[in-house]
Amino acid sequence: MRRLLEFLFRFKEYAALCGFTFISLIIMNFGNTTELGGYRSIVVGGIGWMQSAFSWIPNPIALKNENAALRELNLQLSDERAKIRQSIIENAKLRKMLEFKKASTIPLITADIVGKTTTEARNYATINRGEGDGVEVGMPVVTDAGLVGLVVGTSDDYSVVRLLINRESRITGKIHRSRIDGILIWDGEDALTMKNIPKSYDVQVGDEVLTSSYSNRYPSNIKIGTVMETRDDGTSLFRRILVKPAVNFITLEQVFVIKLLPNLERVLLERENKKVGKPMIPQVKDR
Amino acid sequence: MSEFQERSIAQSWYNLRYVIYAIIGLMLALAHVIALNLISVSGITPDLLTILVVWIALREGQFTGIIAGFMCGFLFDIVSYDVIGTNALAKTFAGFTAGFFYKEKNNELTLGSLYFILAILASSFVHNLIYFFFYIRPTEMTFWSFFFRYGIASTLYTTVAALFPMLVKSRNVQN
Repeated sequence: MRRLLEFLFRFKEYAALCGFTFISLIIMNFGNTTELGGYRSIVVGGIGWMQSAFSWIPNPIALKNENAALRELNLQLSDERAKIRQSIIENAKLRKMLEFKKASTIPLITADIVGKTTTEARNYATINRGEGDGVEVGMPVVTDAGLVGLVVGTSDDYSVVRLLINRESRITGKIHRSRIDGILIWDGEDALTMKNIPKSYDVQVGDEVLTSSYSNRYPSNIKIGTVMETRDDGTSLFRRILVKPAVNFITLEQVFVIKLLPNLERVLLERENKKVGKPMIPQVKDR
Repeated sequence: MSEFQERSIAQSWYNLRYVIYAIIGLMLALAHVIALNLISVSGITPDLLTILVVWIALREGQFTGIIAGFMCGFLFDIVSYDVIGTNALAKTFAGFTAGFFYKEKNNELTLGSLYFILAILASSFVHNLIYFFFYIRPTEMTFWSFFFRYGIASTLYTTVAALFPMLVKSRNVQN
């Protein structure tokens, strides 16, 4: 025992390194940012309060980007204005003709971004609405431009939103024009990536990508972005689709939290099927 | 004030240095989350906590550097909503790497020289290599593109930021 202690003392640096590595790996294995509870709720509240207190400090780089984005948006809007006028008239006529039911409006909570961490891989935003305002973990966050992310932590007055450009993000999307579905992830580039799309599928640059009805986390038909590039994966049969997010995360200031939580019945059913290993559509197997 | 009193005050400050390190670490971690966006360049920010860890390792030795690395990393994991453990692991290795640059008899001189910058460069590189490896899950994403885009840039920015404490220390040592 004494010899062991002497040995450890002699190589205490290596022993400490091994010990702390082991502890870190264990913590990493059990830690999960999506399960923010207890102390993390306190951290969200505390950091949110401090970010709110410092939010008056102007950020020249962000302001410059915002100006550029607003100029670009102004051009687009003036062009779209003319198109929209025409579309409104057409839409009214078509609705009347097809007797469409008026779409139900999902309740929204308006929120201001009081803090943003958009550095390196840590892309989160803190908003000034929390549990007291009805915000809950799992609610999607949008702007008029499109999907922003998901609420992953709440305190009484603040919430943390995981942005789309985050390693943890997984969004089921569909190409609006050709109805092709796929999972969108962010792998550090300026765009989101839709992987494993067969080369034979019809995807073109400029196609709009919306949230899919397969998703249980996000309501369907919210704009995610636009296809900016398609890349072939070497000799494989698949290709990667790069999607430019519709939302400009640098200039993000106001957002809406959609008061919508995943359907519990569906979540439980899917989880049960996954656990038992049953096929999701048994009829297909029977055939 | 007598020489004895001056010496005892200096000794008290010396004994309190770990508490001071802890307070500085906490302040830097909060500053990182709250205000560092203001000096971010294309989403890249200097890692102030790694600078602190290297500073401690060069001043106190490798063993203390490793402990400081783990503590600072764990603290940052908590305040930054990161996956808990990633920064703790990366900064532990940063402290370990910086420990190889420790010179027991010349530690104060080391902090005010380019040797400190070299230690920052090496430690930050190791830190980012480990951090991004565990953070981005290489099985799902392209590690190297992510690392070259963020890891190398962050290493260089951290090294540039470390020039400020180095120059201040260099001036103090000269005086």
